[in-house]
Amino acid sequence: MSPGTQGALVMLITLVILLSGAPVAFSLGTLAIVFIALFQGFDALQVVAETFYAGLNDFTLVSIPMFVLMGAAIGSSPAGKDLYEALDRWLYRLPGGLVMSNIGACALFAALTGSSPATCAAIGKMGIPEMRKRGYPDDIATGSICAGGTLGILIPPSITFILYGIATETSIGRLFLAGVIPGLMLTGLFVLWTLFLMWKRGFRAHAAEFRYSWKQKFQSIPKVAPFLAVVVGVMYVLYGGIATPSEAAGVGAALCVVMAMVIYRMWNPKQLWAILRDTTRESVMILMIIAASVVFGYMLTSLYLTQTLATAIAELEVNRWVLMALINLFLLIAGCFIPPAAIILMTSPILLPIITAAGFDPVWFGVIVTINMEIGLITPPVGLNLYVINAIAPDVKLMTIMRGAFPYVMCMILAIVILSVFPEIATWLPDHMMGGAK
Amino acid sequence: MDLFVRSVKFLSRLFGYFAAALIAISVIVVCHMVFVRYALNQNTIWQTDFVTYSLVAATFVGSPYVLMERGHVNVDILPLYAGPRLRWWLALFAAAVTLFFAVTMTVFTAALWHESWANSWASDTMWRVRLWIPYSALPIGLGLLTLQCLADLVGLINGREQPFGISRGHGV
Repeated sequence: MSPGTQGALVMLITLVILLSGAPVAFSLGTLAIVFIALFQGFDALQVVAETFYAGLNDFTLVSIPMFVLMGAAIGSSPAGKDLYEALDRWLYRLPGGLVMSNIGACALFAALTGSSPATCAAIGKMGIPEMRKRGYPDDIATGSICAGGTLGILIPPSITFILYGIATETSIGRLFLAGVIPGLMLTGLFVLWTLFLMWKRGFRAHAAEFRYSWKQKFQSIPKVAPFLAVVVGVMYVLYGGIATPSEAAGVGAALCVVMAMVIYRMWNPKQLWAILRDTTRESVMILMIIAASVVFGYMLTSLYLTQTLATAIAELEVNRWVLMALINLFLLIAGCFIPPAAIILMTSPILLPIITAAGFDPVWFGVIVTINMEIGLITPPVGLNLYVINAIAPDVKLMTIMRGAFPYVMCMILAIVILSVFPEIATWLPDHMMGGAK
Repeated sequence: MDLFVRSVKFLSRLFGYFAAALIAISVIVVCHMVFVRYALNQNTIWQTDFVTYSLVAATFVGSPYVLMERGHVNVDILPLYAGPRLRWWLALFAAAVTLFFAVTMTVFTAALWHESWANSWASDTMWRVRLWIPYSALPIGLGLLTLQCLADLVGLINGREQPFGISRGHGV
């Protein structure tokens, strides 16, 4: 059987097995074992156990449970409520201030937790009722929070970037920095779009009629500032080359747990166990996919499928931007069905040689992949954020939430176009702070 | 059969606690390592190995607990839209995929563990860890994953567990 036919067969069966609903990690592992046995014989399976183990035997991966713990500690504390209140109290007098405080709180909380659903839940619980109370239409109130939540995987620290960094051997510190300006740009686009939409519908975002005193304005800050300081500190030691991502994340996680205990009095063993349980669940799930995807990747490489695909695409001799558009289309479609971690780990090693051969920057591409994954979080059928918002605001129809979220998908596609025209938006900060890519 | 399911669930939970403890200890060890390296300006010997091996172990021994809690992410679009009958068959197929993986990998990793033990393999780091110790987490975790998968299958076949945890009428 030619590598091309083998590749088509592998792709088809992978799709069927994944769609059956079997856990992604075990599906990838099973597929790897079956195809190695089928095409290379049972003797070739000897290396599977060691490859599976070697996939996890890497100190860089330690950063994943550490960042997950950091996010879980902040996510289970009332920090989201305080962050929202702090921003609202400072911005409430501005026309559209509520939109800014909602999306701004989403961006900041997303940076703290790195989790899109947690951000939607924490900010949405306060933001959506408040917006609806002040007369904002349901689709704008729910759609804006849905989109704001996705910023978690773009604004650092982001687990998606860590996974991309590991899969493509790209600097995680560089990727984190590359996400900052696009993250801010996307936040700005979300705010502008919301304000434009309200203006178009004739809804005037009046400044609130009541006033907060200066004392009230400063009240929420001391509770939230330490968490923000930790994240900024983690970023500083990371890009300053002072510590590795795993070390920075470990200390950051410990500090966040201690601060949740001190500031929010989360002493109760039940609360602490809930943080640790969530961390264990998410970390084990991600690490298991990583181990299985390494074996899956080994199978693809040893059957020459990765190389065949890369050569076939190179021989197409299409314009590099047509190629990039096709890759984006593929990621968009895949993102609508498959969880981000699985897509990144499965496709990045295959796509990287193709995009570097076409002259694209791998760090820039990491940002593009992440925005594609963000879109998947708010598009049906598996857009997780849509369902989180639906659970928070059950009286708003899922269709209304989807309609509200759709224009933000357009904002993200616009961001991809802007980043394609001006790649420096992503690469300038890492190049400026860490020197040019080697 | 009930005793089997209850015992496996108890074991999975127990190893889940163990995995959580390993993650918690790893955080403390990373902080200790940072302190020794950057505050005391001394070399660290065992910390990197300890944390890496702990998290590998946490992943394998924690996996059955995560399976029990339905925490291993899947593409659930088809199960959500399928009718109850098709959903049940899909759940059976998904469990078979998991079981195949768990059984095969238990056999392979047990062989790897035995080889490392028989040949006294040691890590090529300064700590010179006997590799059968970290390798033991693989067959233990995957063996328990096999049992947890069998327990899930029993629950699915005798109707005590809903396919994919989706109760009737809760699909899309």
